[in-house]
Amino acid sequence: MRTFTILLQKEFRESWRSFKFLWMPLLFIFLGISDPLTNYYMEDILNAVGNLPEGFSVTLPEYAPIDILKASTGQFQSLGLIVLVITVAGMINRERQSGTATLIYVRPISFMALFMSKWTAASALGMISAILGYAGSLYYTSILYGSVKFIVFMEMVMSYCVWILFASAVALMFSAMFKTALATACTIIALPVAIMIESLIGQYWHISPWKLADYSVQLIAETNNEYYLKTLLLTIILTVLAIILGILFTRKNAAATKI
Amino acid sequence: MITVEHLSKVYGTEKAVADLSFTLEAGTSTALIGPNGAGKTTALSMLTGLLKPTNGSVRMENVQDIRREIGFLPQYPHFYPWLTALEFTEMAAKLNGVPSRHAKKQAESVLDFVGLKNDKFKKTAAFSGGMKQRLGIAQAIVHKPKLLVLDEPVSALDPVGRREMMILLKQLQQQSTILYSTHILNDAEEMTGQLLFLQKGRLVEQGSLKDIRAKFDSFRYKVQFSSKGEALHFASQSPWPTAVEDCDVFIEINENVPTMQQLMSQLIGLPFSIEKVERVTMTLEEIFMKVVGQ
Repeated sequence: MRTFTILLQKEFRESWRSFKFLWMPLLFIFLGISDPLTNYYMEDILNAVGNLPEGFSVTLPEYAPIDILKASTGQFQSLGLIVLVITVAGMINRERQSGTATLIYVRPISFMALFMSKWTAASALGMISAILGYAGSLYYTSILYGSVKFIVFMEMVMSYCVWILFASAVALMFSAMFKTALATACTIIALPVAIMIESLIGQYWHISPWKLADYSVQLIAETNNEYYLKTLLLTIILTVLAIILGILFTRKNAAATKI
Repeated sequence: MITVEHLSKVYGTEKAVADLSFTLEAGTSTALIGPNGAGKTTALSMLTGLLKPTNGSVRMENVQDIRREIGFLPQYPHFYPWLTALEFTEMAAKLNGVPSRHAKKQAESVLDFVGLKNDKFKKTAAFSGGMKQRLGIAQAIVHKPKLLVLDEPVSALDPVGRREMMILLKQLQQQSTILYSTHILNDAEEMTGQLLFLQKGRLVEQGSLKDIRAKFDSFRYKVQFSSKGEALHFASQSPWPTAVEDCDVFIEINENVPTMQQLMSQLIGLPFSIEKVERVTMTLEEIFMKVVGQ
């Protein structure tokens, strides 16, 4: 536990000094507020841009708060997720390749503490960013589209955080397995690309971690989704599995560190 | 005492290190000598626990987890650029089990020792090669290890940095058992008690510098003439086997022949000006070449 605390302190110090704790939340806040604002002011934006044909009129749909939160989630799941997982996918292998890991690996540390410290730091970064992003989205959604029950909103955010925990574990597992370029490619395929595939052909199955973000937003509607809990449970199981594999590969590939 | 027994590392069909066995007595300094690719770094990696040996073991008297008692300096130490020297050294101490309340004090103390007192609050990204090497020493000794393993500690440094590091290492000799690898044989000659000659992953010779000299050294006279012509002339008429290098003539001593007296009487009759006459021993580099049969 002591090793974990020391290494976690190091991870947080790195994230803080490399300004990850500044720009990652800013990115998510930007993504979170962009949908409620652009959708609400779309007509004004189009008129301000001008050059519209004579007699042209556009009828914009009436959005409910859930639609806006769904759109914000979509933003987090695309650009936000890509940036987050690319950052995480280099956390272990980059240290091995640069040789900075050598002076850590020669000490009496447990690889579980090493992996868990990185996962905790990465997850914290992702969750803080997502929470702030959703907070920004909720703020403008409440003002412009109507209020959302706070408890239900918190359920949705917490549920999305489980997805962040899963995504961080998978990205870190690939980081422990492969060199940076391959790890990044695998992570992008396993997360953002898999989400796209899920949206195209996902109607053929109902339980999958890649559906968790969508199911989380549906919590706002307070409709009963019989697959939600099963999806949540499967996501947690796969997160644990990714962590176990990640620890094993961190240990196995320790000798690959540059000396 | 540290005992290394039958340590081997095999990659596919290639033996990087083969059947390496030796012991390190407490408080001694040992050099692992070999050309590039001899298996020095692989051997040290296995000793430090970075690399799992294919066969063999490393044991330390009365120690369960050997990693707790080892301090390691890689050839090119890399540090987290966003950490200061003090933060890194303190973290290294804590990871090696130094209680948190002592870690900072101990880190400051070793940074003073290696001459980084005024740079301890600087981020390591701003450090020069010599400063990184000093910091590398500091993080290796901060937990007072029983064995200090150094991989080519001075080979990447400029002459000034090299000299400073050698002085530092000599001071450390009084505190720890040191095992270090090098291909710069002058360094080994300067600070080592025991030598391990490694070639193609195998230990080809080991012993104290004195023992190895006794076994492989050959004694010669060196006569320095004022011109190469004079040296060649003397060599052509010498009754003993000679070798000429510029203005120097080297005369092999076999079974105490020639004696200094015999040589001097031979030289006195010459019409040349002789600059210097001395009895010389082989350099460690020459001994190494002899050991590895080149």
